[in-house]
Amino acid sequence: MRGGDADGPSDQELLRRHVAGDTEAFGELFRRHRDRLWAVALRTVCDPEEAADALQDAMVSAFRRAGDFRGESAVTTWLHRIVVNASLDRLRRRAARPALSTGDEQAFEALAAQDGDPARSSDTRLDVDAALRILPEQQRAALVVVDMLGFSVADAAAILGTSPGTVKSRCARARARLLPYVSHLQGNRSASESVSPAQGADT
Amino acid sequence: MRGQMTHLDSSVLAEFRAGLITGRRGARITAHLAGCDRCRALDDQLAGVSALLASVPAPAMPDSVAQRLDTVLAAEVAARAEAAGRDDPERAGSDRSRARKAHGHRAAHRGFRPLALRVLAPVAVVVLAAGGYGLSRLASPGGQMTASSAGSAAALGRPSSTAAGVSRAASRAEAPVASAVPSPLKGADGLPRYTASNFPFVASGTNFSSNQAVRKQQVENDLNVRPTSRPSQAPSPTSAVRECVLNLAGGHPVLLVESAFFEGRPATLIVVQTGQGETAWIAGPGCSATNRDVLATTSV
Repeated sequence: MRGGDADGPSDQELLRRHVAGDTEAFGELFRRHRDRLWAVALRTVCDPEEAADALQDAMVSAFRRAGDFRGESAVTTWLHRIVVNASLDRLRRRAARPALSTGDEQAFEALAAQDGDPARSSDTRLDVDAALRILPEQQRAALVVVDMLGFSVADAAAILGTSPGTVKSRCARARARLLPYVSHLQGNRSASESVSPAQGADT
Repeated sequence: MRGQMTHLDSSVLAEFRAGLITGRRGARITAHLAGCDRCRALDDQLAGVSALLASVPAPAMPDSVAQRLDTVLAAEVAARAEAAGRDDPERAGSDRSRARKAHGHRAAHRGFRPLALRVLAPVAVVVLAAGGYGLSRLASPGGQMTASSAGSAAALGRPSSTAAGVSRAASRAEAPVASAVPSPLKGADGLPRYTASNFPFVASGTNFSSNQAVRKQQVENDLNVRPTSRPSQAPSPTSAVRECVLNLAGGHPVLLVESAFFEGRPATLIVVQTGQGETAWIAGPGCSATNRDVLATTSV
């Protein structure tokens, strides 16, 4: 159900069929990648409702503007770029609507409450998600795309619409900024020992 | 420990690790790391940040979001097919014919549309119900599709594969409807959920406040007025209001659309059910398919 068959049509072929009028090609293409697209939206906007709205905006935009795809990048890169842009748009709109903003202060308070309380580090995903909120949005988007989704710096630059140097710089600043908030998840062991979820279950 | 430079801070080390510091300065950092346990430990910790992030499992898309996107996509497909048919019937016809051939169906003929409309209309209602809300609710008059949207669904062109896609969506919808989806705030009193393309429109005359707390109370009051006891039913929403509701509500179920006021100026209240609760938008007269013109938002 998830992802395409190994021998199914390529992403590019599905997009071509969609532009030619096929009514199901886009749905197949989108379903193929939707979990990763969901992950990038969720982690960029840090809110499930906003992420769903962003992903919906992105899907509609990609559906309507598929004819603009020129094949200069992979289809997945193009899709991710649209999702990241839609997510950043959402964040900008939310910033202009203070009553609905979730506020970095809350994230900081949540993190402060965890300081010095290693027992609460068991849920790594929640902690990492909370820590990501303290980052400026552009740094967060870069870090999500490179470190969490595993895109190369060159692909990430295409997704984020910037230069590889800027991607590297945003990621570097984000990692340094995140370090105090996630170092308790690594414990005092060396990095290579601390990252496996199986080994990390030491509580 | 060689004392040739002071200890490195994490931002310098992060830049070094990212390949942003090279040349003589990079060589000095390399040399310092070789002789400094403290900075090497910090460097390891920084490497651990990336490794930690990579190890966090990606969250799966919730079923409710998947269903909502399916619904919105189906509407996009239908709208495109309708637009293609309107702009250039010959071309759209041949596109549909090609698509059917590719899937082993017989070529289109003139009699196809009305037949497909009869076959697909009830199925299309299920597509809209797949947003995670009981089919029984949508079987109420407010849940029926308009003739034009059913017609555009018929223009999808491939009855059998479309029906298969719908039944997949419907079967996925069953589990959350039965168990996981919390019962809606006012679900117990049977308040129906409508779709963004077909909803009752009422003229409440409520003058919503710019004060968030007051406005929230006003929205809740209006939600609690049962549809049967509403002061007056407006004859029908304008096309701008219809477009506005589609634009704002998207695939979310619609609870209430009211002609009202905001700070004394004409406005439209749109309440939709979102994931965790209900969101109320108060849209100005400029709200349309392309412009949201939202004057205020309230979470209920």
